[in-house]
Amino acid sequence: MARVVFSTWRGEFIDNRGKPESEWVESAYKLPEQYEADRNAKAFIGWDGFAIFDEDVDVIRLGTEYAATYQQYSEACGRCAPGRWGGRILYDLMDKIARGEGEVSDLEHLKEVSRTMMETSKCEIGRTVPKPLLDMMEHYHDEFMDLIENKKPSKHYHLDEVSYIAKVTAPCMDACPTHVDIPAYIEGVRDLRYDDSLKATRQTMPLAHTCGRVCPHPCEDECRRANLDEPISIMELKRLGADYETDHGLEWLHPQEPAKEKIDKKVAIVGAGPAGLTAAYYLGLEGIQCDVYEALPVLGGEVAVGVPEYRMPVGRYNKDIELVKSVGTNFIMNTKVDADMLRKFDKEYDATLLAFGTRLSKKVRAKNEREDMPGYWGAISFLDQINLYVKYGIGEPVDLTGKTVVCVGGGFTSMDVVRCSVRANAKKVIMLYRRDEKTIIRNTTYEEYHEAVEEGVEFIFHSAVEEIIEDENGRLKALKCNRFELVPDPNGGRPQLVKIEGADFIIECDYLIPAVSQSADLSLLPEEWELELTSWGTLKTNGRDYMTSRKGLFAAGDCEYGPMTIVNAVGQAKRAASVISRYVRTGEITLTDEEIMEDHLRKLRVYNKDEKVTGWLPGLPRQHSEKLSVDKRKDNNREVNLGFTQEEAIAEAERCMRCYYIAMAAV
Amino acid sequence: MITLTIDGQRVEAKKGETILQAARRAGLYIPTMCYLSKVKPIASCRLCVVEVEGADGFILSCQAPALDGMVVRTNSSELFTHRQNIMKLYDVNHPLECGVCDKSGACDLQNKTLEFGVDSQEFSAKEHKRDLRKWDFIGYDESLCILCEKCVHVCNEVIGDDAIEIYFGGYSSRIQPKGTEELECTNCGECVAVCPVGALISTDFQYKANAWELEKIPASCAHCSAGCSLYYERKYAGTCEASEQKLYRVTNEFEFSTLCGAGRFGFDFENRVEGKDEVAFNKAIAAFKKADTIRFTSRITNEEAMILQRLKEKYGYKLINEDARHYQNFLESYATMSGKTLFNGSLEALADADGVIVMGSRILTDNPAVRYHITMASKRHNARIIYMHPMEDKQMQNVVTQFVKYEVGTEEGVLAMLAKTLLEGKIDVKKITTFLNDLDEGYLSAESNVGEEELEAIKKSLTRCKRIALVIGEDCINHPRAEQIARLAALFERFGGISVLPVAPKTNSLGVALICDLDEEAGEYTIGYNAPGDFVLSSLGEGDLDMPALNQQEGTFTTLNKRVVPTHVALPFHGYVLNDIASALGVEARYTIDYTEELPQEKGFEAVRFDDIPYYFTNQEGEIRGYELKRMKHSVDSTLEEVAELPEFNGAILYRCDPVLQFGPQTYKASQLSKEEPILYGSEQFAMAAKLKEGMRVRLSVEGVEMERVFKIDPDLKGTIALNPTFDLGLREDLLSSIYRYSQTKIEEVG
Repeated sequence: MARVVFSTWRGEFIDNRGKPESEWVESAYKLPEQYEADRNAKAFIGWDGFAIFDEDVDVIRLGTEYAATYQQYSEACGRCAPGRWGGRILYDLMDKIARGEGEVSDLEHLKEVSRTMMETSKCEIGRTVPKPLLDMMEHYHDEFMDLIENKKPSKHYHLDEVSYIAKVTAPCMDACPTHVDIPAYIEGVRDLRYDDSLKATRQTMPLAHTCGRVCPHPCEDECRRANLDEPISIMELKRLGADYETDHGLEWLHPQEPAKEKIDKKVAIVGAGPAGLTAAYYLGLEGIQCDVYEALPVLGGEVAVGVPEYRMPVGRYNKDIELVKSVGTNFIMNTKVDADMLRKFDKEYDATLLAFGTRLSKKVRAKNEREDMPGYWGAISFLDQINLYVKYGIGEPVDLTGKTVVCVGGGFTSMDVVRCSVRANAKKVIMLYRRDEKTIIRNTTYEEYHEAVEEGVEFIFHSAVEEIIEDENGRLKALKCNRFELVPDPNGGRPQLVKIEGADFIIECDYLIPAVSQSADLSLLPEEWELELTSWGTLKTNGRDYMTSRKGLFAAGDCEYGPMTIVNAVGQAKRAASVISRYVRTGEITLTDEEIMEDHLRKLRVYNKDEKVTGWLPGLPRQHSEKLSVDKRKDNNREVNLGFTQEEAIAEAERCMRCYYIAMAAV
Repeated sequence: MITLTIDGQRVEAKKGETILQAARRAGLYIPTMCYLSKVKPIASCRLCVVEVEGADGFILSCQAPALDGMVVRTNSSELFTHRQNIMKLYDVNHPLECGVCDKSGACDLQNKTLEFGVDSQEFSAKEHKRDLRKWDFIGYDESLCILCEKCVHVCNEVIGDDAIEIYFGGYSSRIQPKGTEELECTNCGECVAVCPVGALISTDFQYKANAWELEKIPASCAHCSAGCSLYYERKYAGTCEASEQKLYRVTNEFEFSTLCGAGRFGFDFENRVEGKDEVAFNKAIAAFKKADTIRFTSRITNEEAMILQRLKEKYGYKLINEDARHYQNFLESYATMSGKTLFNGSLEALADADGVIVMGSRILTDNPAVRYHITMASKRHNARIIYMHPMEDKQMQNVVTQFVKYEVGTEEGVLAMLAKTLLEGKIDVKKITTFLNDLDEGYLSAESNVGEEELEAIKKSLTRCKRIALVIGEDCINHPRAEQIARLAALFERFGGISVLPVAPKTNSLGVALICDLDEEAGEYTIGYNAPGDFVLSSLGEGDLDMPALNQQEGTFTTLNKRVVPTHVALPFHGYVLNDIASALGVEARYTIDYTEELPQEKGFEAVRFDDIPYYFTNQEGEIRGYELKRMKHSVDSTLEEVAELPEFNGAILYRCDPVLQFGPQTYKASQLSKEEPILYGSEQFAMAAKLKEGMRVRLSVEGVEMERVFKIDPDLKGTIALNPTFDLGLREDLLSSIYRYSQTKIEEVG
């Protein structure tokens, strides 16, 4: 998968030195041979070994630079004795050898210090930095001895043509779409320094209250602690820092001092959902004026009108929004942006970010499906009405007393629909899903599914609506449904859903709420701009800089990706804001080295589920926070998850292994 | 209980304890450099790694929980090598200045370097310039710092100042003031105490003495009612033993107890006299014979209070001690409602609480120990902290979750409404439910400015709390309606299961309140004992007969924590003591401490000899000092009076409040604290209301006590209440210390 001269990455051993190219063995990993379109990498070094792409590379300088990087990364080191001093000694001894003043005993000291660092350091960065250096000393022994014996500097010691570009990561950070510095915010909890915790989160995630409550936490799927026992409850620990700031009424804890003065650049943002808020925050921190246009009478997008109060109390969400306001963001509400306005923005603003989400409910594709049929109620407008009333007192309440509601879905939105229906006093609530229980849990969360079951939602799996039946007045009255079974593919492929003949059934109901998916309303795009779209009807970007096919017009969040998670929208918008902040100043579309490395590492994958973890006591159970009991929650909108007690939070934080790693490319 | 095996020994541990805690309790040694038992594991030194059967690699014993059936090995040649390597790293470039370093001889780095046999340095690192910093009481030498992080943790988790942080930067890491250029904190000096090396030091003590030359005198702090444990450290000031002994510093057993800056830096308040002044003594005896009244402060030992009580019994003296009398009345009223002779609260219950209400105290300066326990509740249990006071305290913001501002004087009304809010439905005594139902909440709300929403917010915020504590401050105890307030406060204990802690205003207010029959009206001729009078016995050295200061006496104090704690003679006193006078008057005892075992048992004291009162520390139980007063049954009377009309205070108001580190003439006399200027601090708004300007010298008079102050504007203050100190008033301070703390007075510019 990558052409290498030499590699010890992740336990492989490839040594193509001196072999004809035709006999070269390739590395099994997606190592970043090509750093950027027009720049090749010469070597890559990291926690799991090192790889050489270009034979000309100065391996000893590479090792020295790697050790030096460990010194520089303040956010991840200085926290333990072996790491702090050991790291310094590694660098000093490597540098001594590289500049031609080394002695044979230095190699022994290097090995000794490395051993203690690897066994006793507090975080993985200290435990893993020596790994590639030891590999080098073993496999490039002759090169080391040559410098030591001949007292000469390494071949590129005095050359500065090669850039050594480093990045600190962790499996969880890599898995998080917005790359939150998770070990840092967990350390803040462990150390009872909630302000530090929150600042760490806010480096890349302004919606700390929100994503401390309703994030689907992909990070927990790639938590290294799972290799030992169970993953850390990463998501819930985020909430502590945010609650600390709010509970004590502190001044805003920004990750960096906001720019004192505005620079003379303006950005228009369409949509005040998670993506729009995120971009506005990071641009605002840098002193770039943002005008955020929002069609709804409230701020917050789908988290405001989609996610119900019992999962995400609006009071807390409003704190996240106030944070965005605090950097001088200008919100223009009740304003639906159209093509004419976009044309105007194009002239008046230095850049425009589209972040209007996907607000059209898709159909279930049944016979006789008409959006105007009474009893047919799209999930988006259903949740809009509920949330606008419950959270903001706008409009009318939804009262389903005596009614039977059928929701077709299987994702988060459908869970919100059925649980809100329970709270709206429906007589019976049914969730119809094409696949099985396991899949619905995978698509949402274990908690979400079980809480819905507890609240009395009836789940009918392996079923779909074939036809909508109306009464004499044209009102929806029943659904004809098909039943399916999973038939294994004889060729070993994915099992297929096959309709079971003769197993059809009828559900009498008052409402059908389709929550299968949403699509973007693209009617605001000026036709003459001929913007490129994806095959699934969203704005197309390269997924790295988030610029659309029109210069200066960016897109992030669901309207770019399709309906996805809050954290995905935040991650995209954070990146887009970074690109925009440079674009408005220079007119260039660029990524920082940090961002380029971020993308490389995501491709390579930081998490290794097969790695054996040592140095930690196994079998410490993951903490579970208290939930409001069914009786106390199902007829009201009180927050269901009461959050960790302090004792639980600290016990959970102490399970975190601080799996920081440093990766470095020589370019 | 959990059972595990450590080094072949069966060890019992409590659930939730770490391997290190279990080992220490069993007396088994695991080396550490960064472990501090009163904070969360820091985990920076990595020396405490152990081997656990079934776990790969080394396990950090300070953080890993002890589990049932676990088999632990704390030592092996491999562990030794790693620990030795860590010590080699700690020693890299550590300045070889032990000869002049304050910490030498008591230095963890020295100890562990020797323990692991590191006798040479095989490799080094490039060094860079390291800063030396010096603040008022505290100095920091970056080059000596090993970054164990103990100071940072204790400052945040126990003290609550959160004034220092680590600048993270690998080898350049260092400690620095947090969020400010210079150190801005309450100067408790706990960071100095916990520093295992000589990096954080007392600027006053620096270069003055070696650790091994100093003799530690275990004592109890004389400055406030917390009576914290401390060591006075003394040695001969000159080169020969005949020279006078001198106190060099105060230290504390920081693993188990905590000390504030007044205790730590305000230690040399002794009254030095050449010898016995017989003439003055005879005059004193004559004065006692003439007198019908003894006025005294609560900065006194239990034994001395006992002597005064005996003198009263024999000669019928009126005993005047207003602050103790108010506290006595408070406690007596409290007992009639609670049904117990003493309140149920304690500092331990406070630190363990998950909900705390502070009522009527500027607690940060009033009582640092109480504040530290509130900090611990906040940090350890994320306690909801409701702070109810007419003035917000910015320095408490990081622990307080709800500030409730009420109008000056309305404490009774506020507490009544709070009782109704929190205790509704829990009270089964008709008299009391009727009282609560009949409250005129509209009036109380309007006058106190505490609204229904605020009370509901308190209730909501305490919903999930299982261990609630109520701290009652001096504003309530010295309130004109203190007795009714006490009965209201007792409702929380009796019906709410809430732990109530009334903060005794002075060092031994509780002891005096329990020991002495106090009188309200003075007679014709008054002996003042550390108080104004016609004949004055003073430990400040400004009276008619010199008396020993509290660091020159042995005896006991009764702390706000209901404990009787011993204190010892740190410096000799060559003059007469109260016992000499009493003996001359026929109330005879050989030593003052002969009275220790005679303290009134009906009030909860034990008949224990002074020398039998324990004072030691163990890994198992922490601080073992003194004994706890017995709480006994008390007759109950559930009567509550109607809430009195709430007073109105308008315009500029003075609040009697000493700055942090000052508690009165004793602290002000201590050399490091004597430079403090008495400043009247007010807000911009106060300045306008009182027509004052920043830096103006003013004269004011409270209850006939005149004083001059410099006025300064504190931008953290709001409203029209200013903080007026009294620590500089000498014995006159006593005249003010028992009146309601808020007053209105004319403030005039001094020409």
